[in-house]
Amino acid sequence: MAAAISIQGLTKKYVDVWQKQEVVAVNNLNLEVEEGEIFGFLGRNGAGKTTTIKMLLGLVFPTAGDANILGKPMGDNGIKSQLAYLPEETYFYDSMTGWDLLDFYARLFRIPEPERSRRVKLSLEKVRLQPDAWKRNIRGYSKGMRQRTGIAQALINDPKLLFLDEPTSGLDPIAHSELREIVGSLKEEGKTVFLSSHQLADVELICSRVAIIHRGKLLKTGKITDLVAGERTEMVVQGKALNNGMLAKLKAIVPNISAESNDTLRLSSEDSSKVSAIIDLVRGAQGEVLSIVPHKRTLEEVFVETVRKEDGV
Amino acid sequence: MVILAIAQQTIREAFRRRVMWVFLISGVFLIALGPVFGFLSPKDSQTVLRSLGLAAILLAGLFTTIVTCIYLIPVEIERRTIYTVLSKPVQRYEFVLGKFLGGFATVFVNILAMGFVFLIMLYFNEGHKLPTEMVKGVVMTFFQMMLLAALSIFFSTFATPVINFFLSFGIFLVGNLSSVTDSLTTNKNLGVRLAGNVVHYLLPNFGNFNIQNSLIHPTQEIINQGVFIRNNIIYACIYSAVLLTLAILIFDRREV
Repeated sequence: MAAAISIQGLTKKYVDVWQKQEVVAVNNLNLEVEEGEIFGFLGRNGAGKTTTIKMLLGLVFPTAGDANILGKPMGDNGIKSQLAYLPEETYFYDSMTGWDLLDFYARLFRIPEPERSRRVKLSLEKVRLQPDAWKRNIRGYSKGMRQRTGIAQALINDPKLLFLDEPTSGLDPIAHSELREIVGSLKEEGKTVFLSSHQLADVELICSRVAIIHRGKLLKTGKITDLVAGERTEMVVQGKALNNGMLAKLKAIVPNISAESNDTLRLSSEDSSKVSAIIDLVRGAQGEVLSIVPHKRTLEEVFVETVRKEDGV
Repeated sequence: MVILAIAQQTIREAFRRRVMWVFLISGVFLIALGPVFGFLSPKDSQTVLRSLGLAAILLAGLFTTIVTCIYLIPVEIERRTIYTVLSKPVQRYEFVLGKFLGGFATVFVNILAMGFVFLIMLYFNEGHKLPTEMVKGVVMTFFQMMLLAALSIFFSTFATPVINFFLSFGIFLVGNLSSVTDSLTTNKNLGVRLAGNVVHYLLPNFGNFNIQNSLIHPTQEIINQGVFIRNNIIYACIYSAVLLTLAILIFDRREV
């Protein structure tokens, strides 16, 4: 599959006016995003996510490195007709209505009438903004409505590639879930989404691959399924005979055992094939297996581990 | 289409600001008060009405231009509305030109409204005759403000609104003292002469647009007035084009 975004050695350094203090916002970033995928771009606040997006869109200029977007150099004005961007904080011209705002953005794409009105209507419907709000001033919109309008403006040109910066942050659970659904549905339409988000549960649900960036440096990238691989099985075992020699026998199979009470043990193993042996052993000693919980690693765990490891915590 | 869309959006935002209406209403109010001042003044009431009218248009136009244009680009960056504009297929020069046209159109509408009220007042106070000579004064103020708008837009590509205010206003004042700066170009002191030349020829000559005296007092005649006005209009257009070109070059390299 062709690369929608191909980044080579992208670097952004900010220096103060005296050229003495230097802040490296993005450090030698290499990344490939395939066409048609929803790619999660993860990092803490100030990790360099927004700077990377702004460089790709030509809003800030890189200190070094290069990138291609849909086969064209980044910042190329011609390619922007196939791109969309939703900034982190969605600021709009408050005096406009939702409809007028989208009409304005459509004009920037040189979309003529009546196609323009059709696109505006389609975009507003797609983000499920109530029709009675279309002709109301954005000033009176709720956060959720503004965010829907933000996504609608990003869809106005039927883009091939969307850069979404925290599209679901600060929303109530219903709006959050609906917007996540909308973003997820873009993949079915063959669009590529470059999603920067702190909502790791959302990312895990809708993204196929992710990259973790920390202090401007790419720490990890890959398929989510590969990153979270390594299932752990937790078992809670209860029985009278458990503490009489049983503990030593169990420890021979599973070293990671903690005693919750006198007759209750918690076992944790990353090798699920040992579960049967443990059950047989416990039953043989008239013990009882209270629960067996397969515990999958989450993206959040991977993210926290990766960042902490880099920080040496 | 893109420049026009940005210009329309700019006009809409400009007229949303209350201060714009304050300047417009103050200007119209001053013009409307002309006959009262004319009645109270020992001078010829016609002279007072004409002087006050042109001065009101100039002052209201000056503040409208500066207050509108110094904010046009910085506000877009500060409110981050520029992200959703420049991430679309909008060239930076289109953005700067759209902003200039929008700001300029706002000033144009204000001057047009005040000029209309001014001419109506003159029509009824001067025996139902339309004083076409006064239109020239309004037109010259209009081109003076166009030049000032281009200057403010130029500064707004790299300066904060506060610095821009002092720069634009300061240069407007110095540029209005063209007779003083002209005299410096022939000063005996080399340093003063050099500084005088730089100020007189490099800074925009706003003073040449002030033809009010010759319009109000028939004794102060400008020789070949038509050519003088035409040349100044051409000067304003060329100088504005140079300033906008520089603004585009600077903004093209600016990170937002």
